[in-house]
This record gives sequence, C-alpha cells and structure tokens, in this order.
Amino acid sequence: MFFLKEETKTISVHPSNFGPEMRNLIVGQLNAEEEGRCTGDHFVISVMDMVDVGEGRVIPSNGNAEYTIKYRAIIWKPFRGETVDAIVTSVKATGIFTMAGPLSVFIARKNIPSDIKWEPNTVPPQYTDHADQVIERGTSLRLKILGVKPDVMAINAIGTIKEDFLGPL
Amino acid sequence: MLLRLPRSLHYPITVTSLLKREGDQVERDEPIFWYIYETTVEEGDGLGNKVQVKRKFPTRFESPTDGELSEWKISKGDVITEPIDVVEIEEPCAHEVQFGGLCAECGKDMTEATYNTEIMDSTRAPIQMSHDNTTLTVSEKEAARVEEDAKRRLLASRRLSLVVDLDQTIIHATVDPTVGEWKEDKDNPNYEALRGVRQFQLIDDGPGMHGCWYYIKLRPGLEEFLEKVAVSYELHIYTMGTRAYAQNIADIIDPSRKLFGDRILSRDESGSLTAKNLQRLFPVDTKMVVIIDDRGDVWRWSPNLIKVSPYDFFVGIGDINSSFLPKKQDIGATNKLIKEAKEKEAKEHHSNGKAAKQESESEVSALQQLVTMGGGDNPGLLHEQTNEQEETILHQVEDRPLLQKQKELDAEDAPSVESSESASADESQDSNKHRHHLLEDHDRELFQLQDRLERVHAQFFDEYDKKRSHALGGRVAALRGERTFSKDKDVDLKLVPDIKDIMPLFKQGVLGGVVVVFSGVLPLGTDLQNADISLWAKSFGVVIASKINARTTHLVAGRNRTAKVREATRYPNIKIVTTQWLLDSLVNWQHLDEDPYLLPVHPDDRGEPLSPASRERIDSPWVSSSEELPGTSVWYEDLDDESDSEMFKSTGLNESSHIGYDENEQAAVHDELKEFLGSDDESESDNEALTEDKSTTNKKRKRGKGADGEAVDESAEDDGDDESDPHGSRLSQRIKRSYERSTGLREVATASSSEMGETHPEHVRPSEPDEEPDAENPGTSHIRDVEHESPGDDDDDELEREMLAAFDDEPDDNAEGEDDN
Repeated sequence: MFFLKEETKTISVHPSNFGPEMRNLIVGQLNAEEEGRCTGDHFVISVMDMVDVGEGRVIPSNGNAEYTIKYRAIIWKPFRGETVDAIVTSVKATGIFTMAGPLSVFIARKNIPSDIKWEPNTVPPQYTDHADQVIERGTSLRLKILGVKPDVMAINAIGTIKEDFLGPL
Repeated sequence: MLLRLPRSLHYPITVTSLLKREGDQVERDEPIFWYIYETTVEEGDGLGNKVQVKRKFPTRFESPTDGELSEWKISKGDVITEPIDVVEIEEPCAHEVQFGGLCAECGKDMTEATYNTEIMDSTRAPIQMSHDNTTLTVSEKEAARVEEDAKRRLLASRRLSLVVDLDQTIIHATVDPTVGEWKEDKDNPNYEALRGVRQFQLIDDGPGMHGCWYYIKLRPGLEEFLEKVAVSYELHIYTMGTRAYAQNIADIIDPSRKLFGDRILSRDESGSLTAKNLQRLFPVDTKMVVIIDDRGDVWRWSPNLIKVSPYDFFVGIGDINSSFLPKKQDIGATNKLIKEAKEKEAKEHHSNGKAAKQESESEVSALQQLVTMGGGDNPGLLHEQTNEQEETILHQVEDRPLLQKQKELDAEDAPSVESSESASADESQDSNKHRHHLLEDHDRELFQLQDRLERVHAQFFDEYDKKRSHALGGRVAALRGERTFSKDKDVDLKLVPDIKDIMPLFKQGVLGGVVVVFSGVLPLGTDLQNADISLWAKSFGVVIASKINARTTHLVAGRNRTAKVREATRYPNIKIVTTQWLLDSLVNWQHLDEDPYLLPVHPDDRGEPLSPASRERIDSPWVSSSEELPGTSVWYEDLDDESDSEMFKSTGLNESSHIGYDENEQAAVHDELKEFLGSDDESESDNEALTEDKSTTNKKRKRGKGADGEAVDESAEDDGDDESDPHGSRLSQRIKRSYERSTGLREVATASSSEMGETHPEHVRPSEPDEEPDAENPGTSHIRDVEHESPGDDDDDELEREMLAAFDDEPDDNAEGEDDN
C-alpha cells in the first residue's frame, strides 16, 4: 500500500558547494539518497516535496554545512493480502521468482494452480497449462502477497496465484 | 510431525491428564497435557529454619507447533523417565520450501522463536537448490523430489548433467588493456590471434574495478563443442567469477540461453569461496553428474570430475578469478607451450620458459592449500581474497604483462635475425611479418573432451540399458515368459548406474599397471602422493612410487640427468619419459606410445657401473628426496623382496636363519598339540598340502607368536615340519577350519583325545621308536597313538576305521606338500 509520509533527514554539504545553487544541490542529494531506498519496512518510491529545509549549520570540525530537511515522500509498504502486479524474473522447478517493483516475491509450486504445470524442456523453461497461460521469464503476473518479511536492506515476500483473477496478465 | 519431549524437562514426570483428544485442533503454545514432576525445594519450617523438602509440581506441556492432533502416544497416568515421542500432530504446512525466512507455501515467519521453541522452523529447509538465488531453501524431501523429477526428465531424454567451469576451461579471460590495443592494431603480430576475442565491460564489479574491460578468448571449437555436448548433457555453469561476470560470459557463449538456460552458479551463490561443491547443485545424489574443470583440487578430486588441461591463451595471465581458489600447484601446464614452441622457434621457448618460472613461484605446499580450503567463509579471508583479486586485476591493467612479454620477444628477435637466418627460413623472407607473436591458438582440448564426454555418456546409458533390460526381462519373463522392452517410457530410477562408479572404472583402465616414479617433477618437500599431478594420475590407475625398483614401469622426469634417471637406465624395462607423456596420456585418456616422449638420456648417464664413489654421489641426492616419505611403501599392495629383508632385519633374523624349534621343543609342542586338537589333527593333514601357501612375510609373525608359548599357536607349529616348511599362514587357517568343522567326527575325536590327554608327554616318543623317521609328520604319529593306546575302545571303532582310511591317503599328500617346498 502506498503512503505519503513525512520524514526528516540530515544532509551535509561540502563548503565547496556553498553558493546560490545550494538549494538545488540539496534537493538533488536528497533525491539521490532517498529515492529507491529500502528501510526494511518500506520502500521510498519518490520524494514529493520538501516541507522545510531548515537553517544550515556549519560544523566546526570540518566546515561542512548540515541541513535538517523535512520532506514528504511516497512510500510503499507491502502488506499481507495485498494484490500486486509483478514481472517474472526466473522460473524454477520449485516455483516462480518475480519482482513487484522493488519487492522480490516468490511463488511456490503449491501456490500455483494445479493445472499450470512445470515444463522444463522448453527454451526458456516455463509454467504452462498448455493453453493460453504461459509463465516464463518476463511474463507479467498478478499475484496476492501471502507473507512479508523485512530483512536488513530488503523485503522478501511470498505470493500466490492460486486464486480467482490472479495469474498471467 | 511427531512431537518428542525436550531434554529440558524434569524427569521423571507423570502424566495426569490429556487436554486434547485425537482429532482436535492444536494451536502453537497451547497446553496439550498436564503432568507432575517431583523436585526438592528449600522451605522454611516456620521457626526460621530452612529444610529441604520434596514436592510435586503440576505443569502444563505446551505444543511447540500447531495442527491437528492425530494420535497420542501416551496416556493418563504414564510415568515418563526420558525424552520419548508423545504425540503426533498433523501440520497444515511442513514448511518445506522457504524463501527469505518465510515459508513459501503458507507465508509464516520461519525465524520466529519463543520460549517454547525447541528447533527453529528455518532448519527444516536447509538446502539451497536454485542456481541463482540463495534466499530460497528447501527441505531434503523437497530437494529429493525436485531432483527425482529432473532425473526422470534427463533419463527420458537420455541425457546427463554436465557442470562446466568457465575460466581456463572453456574460455580464457584477461583484463590487460594491451589486448584491446592489439585488437585494434592491424599491424600487430598478435592481431590474427586476437580476432576471435570478445570483450565486455563490468561497471561495478567489486571495489576498485570500475568499468574494467574484460577480454574473453573462447577455447577453439567451443561453439561446436557446446552444441554437440548439449545433445547428451544438460549444461550448468559453475564459476568462481561474480554473478555479473558469469552472466556476461554466458551472453557471449550462449546468447540465446538455449544451452545453459539460467543454470548458472557464480561465487555470489556458491556458499564457499574456496571450494566448489557438487552438493550445492545436486544435494541428494550426483549419480548422473559429470564435471569438467581445469582444477581438480577445488572439487577435492571428486570422482565425477573430468579434469581438462587449463586453457592458457593469454600467456602468463592465468585465471583471473583464481584468487578465490586455493593456490594452484602448477606442473608442466606451460610445458606444452614449451614443446610447441620448441618446434617453432627457440625465442618463444625462452619467453614461455620465463612464464613457467614465474608460475612455479606460486607453487604452494599441499598443507597450505588445505589450510586455505578449510578457511571457509570468514569475512577476513573474503576481504583478503577480494583485495588479492583487485590487486591481480590492477596489476594486469597497469603492468600489462602481455605487452611486456611481447616487447621481450621483439627485443630478442632483433639480434636473432642477424645472427641466425637459418633458424627459420620463411620468417627471414618477410621482415614485416617477422615479429613473433606472443599469442598462439593451438588448443585442441575441447575436441578430445567432446569425445571423452560422449564415451562416458555412451558407457552410462549402455550400463543403464543393460540393467534395465535385465530387470525388465527378468520380471516380464517371470510373469509372461516373454520379453518386452519399452524404450524411455517407464524410467526406473533404481536402476540408474552411478557415474562415480562408471567413470573411475573407465579411467582406472587407462593407465592401470603403470608404476611411476617422478624425478625432477615435484619440488622437494611436496607430498608425493597428494600433489595435484599424483592425484590426477592415480585416478587413472597409476601407482606412484618414490623409489625405483623392479616394479617401476615409467620414470617421469621433469629434468634430464637426475640421479633417478641414471638409476632407471639400469633397468631395461623402465621407460624414461618426459612429464608431457604423463600429462598427454591423462588428458587423452589413453596409454600413449612412449616413444615420442622418451627422454634423451645423456650417454654419460647410461648404464654407469656403480663404483663406490659414484654410488655415493648418486645415492645422496635421491635418497634424501625419497626418504622424506617414509610411509610410501604402503603403496605396494604386496611387499616385495626388499621390504621382506627389511622385516627380517627388524626381527633380528635373516632370510636363511633357522626358524622353528629344536627337536626337544618340537616333541613337547607336539604333545601339547595332541592334547589340544586331539585326533582331529589327522583329518587336518589332508588340507595341509593345500594350505601351504607361500607367504614368506608370515615367517616373522609365526615366529613371534610361537615364542609366546601359546598352545594354540604351537599346535600349528607342531603339526607341520617346521624346519623345512616355515609357513605360518596354516596356523590360522587350520584353527579356523577345525572350529568350522561340525561333523560328528570331531566330537568323537575329542572324546578319544581326552583319554590321550592322560598320556605323559615324554612317554609318547619312547613308546614309539619306530616313529622316528616320521617325526616330521606328527599327524601320522598321532593316529598311531590312538591305535596303540586305545585299542579296546569299542565306541571308537567306527571312527578309527574312518581315520585309518584317511590316514592311508595321507603320506602321499604330505609328500606332495613337501615336494612343493
């Protein structure tokens, strides 16, 4: 689920960058550092705007200026039971690896409808029901998240396509 | 899941009531039964004193798992004294596939632990199975199931699995920018050779290597090789390069991913940074797997391995990912180049010789190697290795070893043109093309390798078909009396032969019966039996010996004019060959003709008569080198004459020394024997002639045991003719036989012998003076005792007749036996 979240971050600027372009520089640095970051709990998708840049303070020891920035960002926190679209990255005998944006979701064989079978002899290997449903590397899938586990810098999730309206798009 | 009580309970416990019935749903941490345990506690007695009192405490046992309770193994009132199985709980999910700490099937967190957790759920799926992902783990059951499916599929398509190494096996990579320059420069002498070199850039491959260009030379014939081999094998890549590197190489050698698919395992997923492990890819069984690699040590010389000769196109570069592997023992890898070069031009020989020298510096003892391999995954080592690789790469990028070598080569060319035009006529004609090129492309390994893989494949399926038709034929014939053979339909996994049996068998025959002694091949102090080349040779049935003797068939000499070469010339049957013979034979899986590889022996060395002075001179160097391995004589299955005499010395005997007893001793022993074995002895004598196996080594053992004065041993000493026939192996055989025997004869015989036991030992001999010529045949005398001393024993009449009948044959047998000696 997506949220608009207000957060604060401290950014330090090297003295050589002090000047009229400083604001842009700070924005650039904030975007570079925050966007796409995974906290282990959620993904920061995009920085919307800066609420407050605050006053810069020069740190006595090295001359860097430190800014405490309040900003709003769109974050995504995957929940159990959430339905997402994902792209298949690889298929194995044990299941399907997919990426739903930054989130890696694994679909175990048990959570694939029983009529969709593992077919290792094709190139590339695929899961197929020998009709219109073919799941191979690059296929788009709609899946439901069964469980989410935060890790240090990543989130792992388990998904299923064994329900109505789930499966290859 | 069958629940077992934890060790931590206070046993004995008494079950007081069961809270759940069979069929009930159980939640995790929900109490399932009450029990009481007894313990001693300290209590106050109300007067300020503390007393130890025994008390009983009721406690609940909580279920560590959830599911449906299917069966109680205990009942109310049971007293349990040790951890036993208490209850069977049917779990809704066995968590057999886990992904990043989650059960992939039910989505539960597997890393959760409570006070009640005995075993973490995450340990239920310990096996990493997929090539490119380490977060997915499966249970043994699941792994076996997946693997079985894969095997069925492979068998149905009559294929095996082939694990392919990248660096120096099917490609050679370098980061030396010189290659890029040469590639662009049409005038460069190496331009031709570099035409097929591919390149790619890895943007962020480790620290310090940003945007490094990799130059990849495919081994000649690779495309064809992979295509052909893919028909009979399913291909996997297992490399010690990074994931990105492996992907890029795969893009080059297999752009459509038809051959490898995504079966690529890199060091990022390998799990070990120092060794490769087949279990990582095939956790359950490796019956149908063949490996090709240029390094045997990283696989611990697995029987599945086909070692290929390393592909060394960029001279002196080696394996760019080798800093992650144990140090390489380099033997003669560059010799091949030397040989090729020798035919071509002496100059190149020189530069390669240098390369060889450089590499030989990196040789490291086997011990150090073991230490490296055992290093495991500690972060320090990883860091060190990463640094090392970084250094290697920086070194290549900055120092440009190839450029240096070419310069060297050019520099040597300049004077050589003037001095010797005769060296190579065609070269001197064209001075433009005259510059020698450093890079040569003569490698033929893959063609041979393809042939070998096909042979292994054929052998495997021959065996499989044989087994299967046998099984099918047998079963069907039993059922219907006719034989049907349905090909590839009904795959029977039980009949799958094991590549680990087939390939070694195949290889053992190649150089079976070859006994090799090395000379000037391994540096001093190397463990002769565990050096790379030795292990490799041994897998082909070669026996490695440290000393030259009559059994030696080949002397593999790295240098000429060594002491061992001189020694070997004295044996006409020993072929003195170069290391190349051994290497080529191993690579080709053939006992190659030695003639082209014979080492030209210096005339001075040949057949040199051994004067004491020269002997000393000869002995000192090689004795010191061979004595460093005192244990190597173990390698001889049967001891040869030399070691026999050593043994004699150690027991204070020589080969001609008298073994056995003098006559008095013999007589005493003789009587003791009678007592012990009784008339059973007689029937033994039939066997005597048969059991007189020659085994001189047993003399010593016999002697030692006999001296102990044990009746059992002496009995054996006695019944034979000690002076002339000192073969003690009879002892054990006879005793064993006499115990094995279960005929009525024996029982009866013992009865009569008890009678004889009363006969005084000294009495025996005088009473039978006519026995004297027969002294060597105590069995005979023994029988006569029976006859003389118990003539009236009616019960034994039958027996005696039998004995006499046997006895009549005996002297002949014995005479034969003695004639044999």
